[in-house]
Order: sequence, then C-alpha cells, then structure tokens
Amino acid sequence: MSVNGQVVVANDLHRRYGEGDAAVDALAGVTTAFERDRFTAIMGPSGSGKSTLMHILAGLDKPTSGTVELDGVEITKLDDTKLTELRRDKLGFVFQFFNLIPVLTAEENLVLPLSIAGRKPDREWVDQLVRTVGLEDRRTHRPAELSGGQQQRVAVARALVSKPAVVFADEPTGNLDSKASEDVLRLLRQAVDEFGQTVVMVTHDPVAAAHADRLITLQDGKIVSDAAPGSADEVIELQKRLD
Amino acid sequence: MTSLGLKSLWARKIRALTTTFAVVLGVAFVAGSYVLTDTIFAAFDEIFEESLSGTSVVITAENPVKQENGETPTISASLLPTVQETRGVRLAAGAIFTPGGFFDAQGEKIGNKFAPKFISSTLPDGLEALNYVEGRKPRGPREASIDKGAAESSDLKLGETIELIGQGTARKFRLVGITKLGSASFGGASIAQVTLPVAQRLTHKLHRFDQISVAAAKGVAAETLKRRIARKMPAGVKVETAKENADRASEEIRENLGFLPTFLLVFGFIAVFVGSFLIFNTFSITVAQRISEFGMLRTLGASRRQILSSVMVEAGAIGLIGALLGIAGGFVIAAAIEALFKAFGLELPTTGLQLQSRTVIVGLVVGLLVTLFSSLVPALRSTRVPPIAALHAFNPEPSRRRRLIYLALSVLLAAAGLAMVLIGLFGSGSAGTRAGLMGGGAVAVVFAVSIFSPRLVPPLATVAGWPLERLRHLTGRLARENAQRNPSRTAITAAALMIGLALVAFVTVFAAGLKSTVAQVVDENFAGGLVIQNSDGFSPIPNGAAAAARKVPGVELVATIRGSQAKVIEGGAAGGTVQVNAPTRDVDAAVNIEWKQGGPSALRGLRGDEAIVADDFASSHNLALGDSFQLLTQTRARPRFRVVGEFESKLGVLGSVLVTQPVMAREFAQTQDLFDFVKVEEGADEAKVQALLTVGSERLFPVTEVLNQGELKEERENQIDGLVKLVYALLFFAILISIFGIANTLALSIHERTRELGMLRAIGMSRRQVRTMIRYEAVITALIGAILGMVLGVVFAALIAQPLKDEGFTLSYPIGSLVLLLVFAAAIGVIAAIWPARRASRLDVLQSLQYE
Repeated sequence: MSVNGQVVVANDLHRRYGEGDAAVDALAGVTTAFERDRFTAIMGPSGSGKSTLMHILAGLDKPTSGTVELDGVEITKLDDTKLTELRRDKLGFVFQFFNLIPVLTAEENLVLPLSIAGRKPDREWVDQLVRTVGLEDRRTHRPAELSGGQQQRVAVARALVSKPAVVFADEPTGNLDSKASEDVLRLLRQAVDEFGQTVVMVTHDPVAAAHADRLITLQDGKIVSDAAPGSADEVIELQKRLD
Repeated sequence: MTSLGLKSLWARKIRALTTTFAVVLGVAFVAGSYVLTDTIFAAFDEIFEESLSGTSVVITAENPVKQENGETPTISASLLPTVQETRGVRLAAGAIFTPGGFFDAQGEKIGNKFAPKFISSTLPDGLEALNYVEGRKPRGPREASIDKGAAESSDLKLGETIELIGQGTARKFRLVGITKLGSASFGGASIAQVTLPVAQRLTHKLHRFDQISVAAAKGVAAETLKRRIARKMPAGVKVETAKENADRASEEIRENLGFLPTFLLVFGFIAVFVGSFLIFNTFSITVAQRISEFGMLRTLGASRRQILSSVMVEAGAIGLIGALLGIAGGFVIAAAIEALFKAFGLELPTTGLQLQSRTVIVGLVVGLLVTLFSSLVPALRSTRVPPIAALHAFNPEPSRRRRLIYLALSVLLAAAGLAMVLIGLFGSGSAGTRAGLMGGGAVAVVFAVSIFSPRLVPPLATVAGWPLERLRHLTGRLARENAQRNPSRTAITAAALMIGLALVAFVTVFAAGLKSTVAQVVDENFAGGLVIQNSDGFSPIPNGAAAAARKVPGVELVATIRGSQAKVIEGGAAGGTVQVNAPTRDVDAAVNIEWKQGGPSALRGLRGDEAIVADDFASSHNLALGDSFQLLTQTRARPRFRVVGEFESKLGVLGSVLVTQPVMAREFAQTQDLFDFVKVEEGADEAKVQALLTVGSERLFPVTEVLNQGELKEERENQIDGLVKLVYALLFFAILISIFGIANTLALSIHERTRELGMLRAIGMSRRQVRTMIRYEAVITALIGAILGMVLGVVFAALIAQPLKDEGFTLSYPIGSLVLLLVFAAAIGVIAAIWPARRASRLDVLQSLQYE
C-alpha cells in the first residue's frame, strides 16, 4: 500500500524519442499521483505526450528518466516477464480499436486475462459483469456478431474481470457514436463508484472527460492543468484557454 | 509495372527468400539427380574405355539371354591360336573376368558386401589396361594384385596375404601389386588379378576364356581385323571392335541402371510438386495482404493486365533466381545422394561431376514453369480486386458459385485420378504406361484432396487440437481457432506436408506387407532346416559347399538348387524371360512342394527332356501334362521339354520351370548352386549343426553364410528395411520443403495478426505463451497434413496390393509405425514453428498495438 491511498505515483518522468537534433521530448518532467477509487481523465492536443504518459504508467513503454510506482512496486526497472505478470494481474486495459480476439466468444474474451493466468473465473463476478455491461444474451457471440459499442463494453468488462489495481483506457470512445460512447463512459463511472476501481483514461473528447473526477491536461510534455473537470462545456473552455 | 513487381519483391525479402528456397530445393533435387546419374554413367564409360586401352578387337561368347546372376557363357581356349595366326594381329591373349570373393588374412571381407568383385587374369604388356601404382604384376601361382580402392578400404600392404574364392575353395595369395584403372573410381567394385592359369583354376574355367583381347599390328584398322577374325570363328562367338564392345557395355549399364535416373527424378519431382504448394500459398497470402494496394493502383488507372503482370514478374524473378541457384545446388544434392547411397552400401563408380546442357535446360524450365504456374491462380485473383478495395475492407472470400465449382472440380479430379489408378492396376499395357497411369492418377487425387481439404480443415483441426486444448486450455484453444481461421490457407500448407507423409505412409504400409509376405513365403517354402547361400543373398555359391556340408555330423541330407534365366520360344520367336531351376531329386525333403499335377515320383524320375512347371507358368503358356515347350538358353541352345508335373508357385524358391542338374550344366552352362538346403537329422541339435557348418564354410567358402529359417526371414526383411530407409531419406527433401511451407505460412499469418498479438501481450500473455500458441498452431497444421497423408497413403497401399493378392501378397497395417508418423508430424510442426514463434514472441507490444 502506498501512502495516502495513491495507487500510481509518477516522479519526474522524461521520455525522449530519437537522438541529437531530431530528438523530441514527449515528456519533459511529469510528476503526479493517482488515488484509489478515482476516475482520472488525461487530455491534451496531439503530441502533448498524453498517450506516452499512459504507456509509461502502464509499463508498456519505459521512461528515459524518472520512476513509476504502481501499487507499491517500482516498475521502470522490471524485466519483460515481471512486467507481463504485472499487466496480467494488476492492470486492466481498454484500447480504442481491436480490443477483442475475433476467434473467441464474448464471454471467452471477457475472462481472457484469467484464462491467460490459468485461473478459474469467479462465476458470480463474471455473471455480475455480464449483467452490468448488458450482454446476457450475447455471451456466446463472436466479436464480428457484436456492434462496436457492445464490443467496447466487453472490453471494459474484461479490464475489470481480474479486479486490477488500475484500469487504463486509451481513447475508449474514439471509435464510437455518442450513444455507445455514453454507455461505455457510464460503465467506467460505475466501475469506480460501485466496484471501487481506479480508472485512468486518455481522451480528446471533452464530453468523455466530463465523466471523470479529475482532469489532467498536458501540453508539450508537461502538466499544465490539474483540476476537477466540471461540465463538458467547462472542459472545452479550459482546453481553449490553454491553447 | 515490371519495376513495381520487382520492387515489391525486394520489399518483402524474407517472404521472397522462403519462396525462392522452395524453388531452389526442388530444382536442386532434379538437377542433382541428373548430375549424379550422368556422372555415374560417365564413370562407367571411362572404365569401359580404359579397360580396353591397347585392345583393338574383343572376342566373347554370344549371350542371347542376359543373366541376373550366375555364370555367363565362355569361349574355348582353342580359339586363341586361330586368332593369333590371323593377318594383322600383333598380339592376342585370353582373359578371365569372373565374379568372386576377396578376404584379408583374418578372413574379413574386402570391400562392400553388395558391390561386385572380379577375379581377372593378367594380360601381356600392350593389352594390359590396369596400371600398377605399387609393386608388380603377379607371376607365380601364389601371387595376386588388388585395386587401390579395395587395398585402401581394407588397409592392405604389399607382402600381406589375401584370400580369393571363385568356384572352388578359398585360396591364399601374397599381395604383390596394387592397381588402378584410369582416373575414375570403381565405386564399391574391385578387381583382383592373378595369372591366367590361376584365374582359370580359381573360376573352374579350365581351357576356357571369358574373352580374347586382340591388339592390331601397325596400320591395321580395328574394323578390318574384326572382319578377318570373325570369318574364322565358329557360331556362338561374338567378335567386336574395342569401341563396339565398350559401347555395348555402356548401353547395357544404361539399361541395367536405367531405373536409377527415373527413381531419383521421381523424388525430385515430388520435391518440386511440394514446392509448388508453398509457392501457391505464399502468393495467395501476398495477394490477400496487398488488396488495398491493388485497389489503389486500380483507382489510379492501372489495368487488370498491368496488375497481373506485376504479380507474374515477381513470380518469374523468383522462378529464375530459384532455378539458377537450384542448378548450382544440384552439385551439392548429387554429392549428398551419393553419400546417402554409400551409407546404404550402394557404392557406384564416380568421376568428375557432369553438368550437361540438358540439366541446365530442364532445371530452368522446371523452376520457371512451376513458379509461374503456381502463382497464376493467386495472380488472377489479384486482377479481380475492384478499385473500391482501396477505400473499404474488401472481403476476398470465394463466392458460393466459385466454391461449388471447386467442389465439382475436386470430385471430378478424384474420380479421374482413381480411374487412372485402377486402369493402371488392372488394365493391360506396358509396365511403364501402367506406372505412369498410376502416378498420374495419384497426382490427380492429391490435387483433388488439396482442393477439397479446406472443408476438412475445421473438423480435422478440432480433432488434432483436442489434446492440446485439454493440456493447455487457452493457448491450445487459440492455436486451434487460428488454424481454422483461414481454412484454405491451412489446407494448402497441410497439403504440402500431406504429399510427403502420404508417400511415407504408403511405403511404410507396403513394406510391412512385403515383409509379412516374405516371412510367409519363407515359412511356406522351407520345411525347417538350414540354408547355405551367398552372403550377398543372390549370387551363386561354389558347389563344393554342398559336398562339404554333407560330411558334417548331424546332417541328414543337403539338397541343392541351381538356376538360370531363359526365354520361352513362342511361335518361333523368343518371348518372356523365366527362371529355370535345377534342384537335386531330394529337394522336396527340404522345400515344401504343393503338387497340382504329378508328384514326388515325377521329380525322382525326372529325365533330361522333361520338366516340372509352376501353375502360373503352365496357365500363361497353356501347358497341360504331356505338352511340350521350348526354351532359349544363354548358350543359344534351344532345348525342348515335356511337362510331367505341376506345382503351386507361391512366390517360391523353385522358379517357373524345374529341369535336371545335368541339363542345367549342358544347355544352360550353370554349374554353381544358388542355394543349398540342409536337412538336419531327427534328434540332432540344429544350432550345433549350424555352428559346425558355419565354421566349415567360413574356412573353405567364405562367400557363403549358413542361416536358419528365422535368420533367413530376418535377412530378407532387413533388405526391405534398407530400401525403405533409403526411400525415407530421399523423401526427406520433400518434407523439408513442407517444413518451410508451414514456417512461411505461419510467419505471414502472424504478420497479419500483429495487433492482436500486441493486445494479448498487453493484457498479460507471456512470451512463452505466445510461443506455445504458435507452436501448437503449427503442430495442428502438421497433424492435419499427417492425417490426410496417412489416409491417402494407406488407401493407395491397399489399392496397389489388390492385384498382387493373387501372387500371395498379404497386406498388413503397421499401427505402431503409423502412430510414430503422427509423432513425427507433430515434431515437424514444432520445428517449423521455431522461427515464427520466436519472432512473434519478440514483437514490441507498443509497436504492435499501433501497427496498421
């Protein structure tokens, strides 16, 4: 357990791509922490470093310097095997596209992290998740037989199935219409409020950001704002002001 | 568009490399078969030419019936003075050149077991072809020389003792010289030289020659001399110029070994055939992956023809490069096959490797045609890509109509193929035509199964994947699903392996049948007891062996059998060749004879003008008891025989016709035994008798071996096993290509699934699990190939065994070997997956997720 219920702590993160004159600093010193049971949105214009930050927090990329502590573990020095286990046991992921394995059914996709770990899923928990995402009658359908919104809801349920320390969502609504987006965002909100999950979401959609408890805005690899998001209009206002 | 084709080839180097490699392996095997056999024949030509250097005219006995084994006719030594007196003859000498056996001082066999060994006589200088590289020619009755190859293989030094055996007992000689003939190697064959009188005595050819060699006087043409000599020679003597003789020998060798190029080329074309599946699959996948690229080109105004030519140029380049590398690789393959033959005890003469223009042309044509032909269907598919495919996901799934066409095509092909096989099996026509029909039919059936197999992939993958899913739940499950994801791709990949494994299964089942048949034949023919035979299993043995065996305590009787090939004279002309044997009258005490007409008394009282015939011989020549028939023997004699008995053939040791031994000697010029059958006295210990006989035969007649019934069976079975292993080894090339095929398909499929793999890794799948998943996918693909191949192989073996049933062939199914074949196929999958699995497990998670 980290202090003050902080589940992710990032300390002076730098990430440089390329070398010499062509070098680009995607992150130029980011220090922040994410508390348990909170829904945080990260916004910023293209190239602001928001995706890089999420990848480093989730152990998918390594910082040039700085440290990340995840549920009490310093992850930037871990080898691939340890990182893989960490992702499997402590993290949940929701991506923009291609979240599901096309050859597996909705339910098999849902329990995939447990299957990979060779663990038996908790029936009750799985049933509850299926009910929550509203796919009771779609359990044995394959992804190709589901709508984009349904697929993304399965992906959210999958991210929750192993009761991870943090769920990272990378533009989870980027590919959906507004109705489906609303469903997915409500699900993420529910995960925080009802299941006590911690969610970190990267988005460029002010409406999505408005569902969060906290909004971090990045620009040129630095945090330029960190506050409660307020309404969607307020988020748009904030982004305009920062530009 | 040409440059686009070449550029896209360059852009996908790895894929191009594996495809090229498939062409290279196939072409290399074809080219290698030619290079090796050309080299072998060139070596024989060199040997025949060299062995007649200095000789202008050669005199031998006419031989109208070629013998598979046994003695050949000789000429009388009394002809020599007549030859020597002929005008224009500078020098003439008689010579002996007869098969025998060589042993070192310890009684160890010199040279390879199956390779021919010849006892030859020295010739006067001017006619002698052998060069003495060490020591000198043998002069006295106790001196001999041996060729360099044999001397080296047995580490023989001048002054040491060697033993030579012809038709009598083994004799000891002092080694006084080591010889060499020209630059070609003899392969496993070897020559020992002794003086002429010694050679005649060793081979029981007193006052006889195998050949008279003649050197012409200065200025006398060989042709002229030949005519002069021929005029003075009696009938049955053949006079040839040295060139004619060498040419005839070359031709005979090409006839006798004619099966060898065909045999090897069959394996070469199997490799090419398997390679064509790999090429087809690679191009299909490439075209599928480039659909949006083709769509874009079409939007920009490229015509269908241009798209087609860009794909075909890519194929042509691969075919050309592959063919050129393959022809070069032919030298490596030739050397590899030669080494393989050597390892199996089949050594053949060699000289410098021969590259004939025919080899280059065939290699190029095969490489180019196979590549172009295999890529034609995928290339045509690329032309059907509509411009809209550049913008939308285009689903290249074949339409319902097309799938029905494929189904009809596979049914038609299967029917046509089966019909061809059946006509080949049961129809008339030459053996070559029938073999061609069966081969063509088999190819058609393989095509039919390949076209139909996409429908078989889902159920077979479920069967093959079941144990893996039980064992490794998720990875097994995903592997099975991935194998089923694109059934036609998996099907073609599996079909390539199917071909190789079908042949392996066929050979395995057929060989098991042969072995059980052989065992049955031995059991049915021999009434227990022991058999004395040549240790090579087929050559005759000195007839002193039987006489010596009769003196061994515990031996009740020794029946012997001699034999020769002869032609049946039908309507005045010589027809088919049959095996004529001459047993002793007590042979029925050691060999079971099922009498159909006549009985033991016919055998006991058999006269010189009488014969006992096998039932199949009687029926095919319409002979009943009392009828007579005429044979043409190797000595040009035409004896006539009256049928006095008939026995059941049962593939037995008795052959087709039985005559008396004096007739065999007089009319067929055969005085040596093929087999001696020893009947052990009632109450005597068979093992003890065998030990006594073995000691005696090792000392007196080292070319012989004494076997009991069990050993005889085992020896025959071992011969079949040897051949089967050789065939397995040659099929390995085809299987190797299909391993590349599996690896290539996997690599391309993984490439398509990069993002999916990235996602699996992101949510916690370990590298090891990724490798396992891919390995299992390969194993499932390989097992599908194995199951299809085994079914095909077993069905073909059962079909081909049908007409042989009448001749006593019994089919048996070696379940153990077939299960082993499945394990072998799984191992092939594991090997094929090594590289793709490693590549997949090392994908960078983040890059894979962002991969478009």
